[in-house]
Amino acid sequence: MATIEAIGLSKRYGARNALDGLTFAADAGEVIGLLGPNGAGKTTTIRLLTTILEPTGGTFAVAGVPSDQPHRIRRRIGVLPESAGYPARQTGAEYLRYAARLFGSSRHDARAVAGRLLTDVGLGDRAGARISTYSRGMKQRLGIARALVNDPAVVFLDEPTLGLDPAGQREILSTIAAIAERRGATVVLSTHTLTEVEQVSGSVLILDHGRLRAAGPLAGIVAGAGSLSAAFLDLTGESGHD
Amino acid sequence: MTRWTVVAEQESRDLWIGGRGPVLVFGFSVLLSAMTYLAATNQAMNFLEQREAVNLTVQVGLAVGVLLTVVVSADAISGERERGTFEALLLTPVSRRAIVVGKLAAAMTMWLACLAVTLPYLWVLGRGVAGAGQAALLALTVGTLVAVGLGGIGMLFSGWTNSNKTSLAGGLLLLLVLFAPTQLPALPRTGFGQVLTRINPIGSALHYVSQILVGRRGWTNDLSYLAAPVVVALVVVAVLIAAGPRLVRLTAGLR
Repeated sequence: MATIEAIGLSKRYGARNALDGLTFAADAGEVIGLLGPNGAGKTTTIRLLTTILEPTGGTFAVAGVPSDQPHRIRRRIGVLPESAGYPARQTGAEYLRYAARLFGSSRHDARAVAGRLLTDVGLGDRAGARISTYSRGMKQRLGIARALVNDPAVVFLDEPTLGLDPAGQREILSTIAAIAERRGATVVLSTHTLTEVEQVSGSVLILDHGRLRAAGPLAGIVAGAGSLSAAFLDLTGESGHD
Repeated sequence: MTRWTVVAEQESRDLWIGGRGPVLVFGFSVLLSAMTYLAATNQAMNFLEQREAVNLTVQVGLAVGVLLTVVVSADAISGERERGTFEALLLTPVSRRAIVVGKLAAAMTMWLACLAVTLPYLWVLGRGVAGAGQAALLALTVGTLVAVGLGGIGMLFSGWTNSNKTSLAGGLLLLLVLFAPTQLPALPRTGFGQVLTRINPIGSALHYVSQILVGRRGWTNDLSYLAAPVVVALVVVAVLIAAGPRLVRLTAGLR
């Protein structure tokens, strides 16, 4: 059953088309890689599907909820936004408790959820430390924990490994794989790093200048060009990506 | 607990625990201490009648308390946009209106803290004339009206702009424009001057307070002077609630 369905999704800013007629579907438990060069429309796609922006055309449904019920969609999704900011003075536990309470948890449940998720992402021993003392990798893991606070059906991760060292990247990727496997959630992974998509994704969307250039199982896209990198470069005319 | 109260609770914690709330209130108390010392010494030398000293303290407490409330509310939305923390809040199922109301309620805690700091000074200056209790009640009612109205305008500025500096500058400029006429000694008390005083929520509120504390008039005698603060508070809250979904967006101006 499709947990994400987008039909002709478009977003215009004045005369500029940030996204033009995106149509795709994703199933439960699937990790879908969202690829494209800078300005391709990856973040716009995520912001549309997460109801932060309103589309100028097209329709979509996330977790079975149509786009005209944004508050219901937000109940069913978890998001790690691109370059997310964190309240420096809050502790990791306080940050997650607040998020859980905004999703309707009681004080007691919010405390339990925060403790469990912090342990899951390896921050259990730093739960009481202020976020300002966290490294970049720890903040990314905290952001992923926040995205899971409402036990979402669909998780959107926008550049989750940006600025992380190889060990940090590996940790995040294993967390992403676990989200899809153990929770059965659909994960939309937006990234510039093609090797990450090859490691964890079963299918891929490749965007360029707001248009969908390719969509489908990773194996199918790789088979035509020999490698994901070659396929990406063919489809986008880009060079310099790994 | 409804969602706006969850937002208000956390915003208040962020303001008062490790935030700038205590620093602002400390500065406020230093200012009030200096002002009270001057008022008390002038009173001792018979330059200032006791009721005038109490009135002066209420007026300074109200003006500066509202100023600090505007400083906090003007940061509420644009500040989060600048710090990159707003998107996470927008991604929750909490309604945009609940976010606005929660943030305004948290900003009001700044006014309540300023009021609490003002009370001992009123008690010291107003002992014996039965004016301290009345002054405290006036500060609570009239000051809260003005703080809700102008704090709400600060939040509107905050929602309309992506820059914290712009929203803060807008809020402070508005306060300056409203407060400056109250300090003009030659403002005529009839005709145009009277109209200016009545339409100015700060000017009319301060006039109402001084009529009761210094002029010893009843609470109902000059009630019409409260029209501007009441109307501004009601209209601003209504606009905030009605326009909440348009104000509370990731970027000001874009849909």
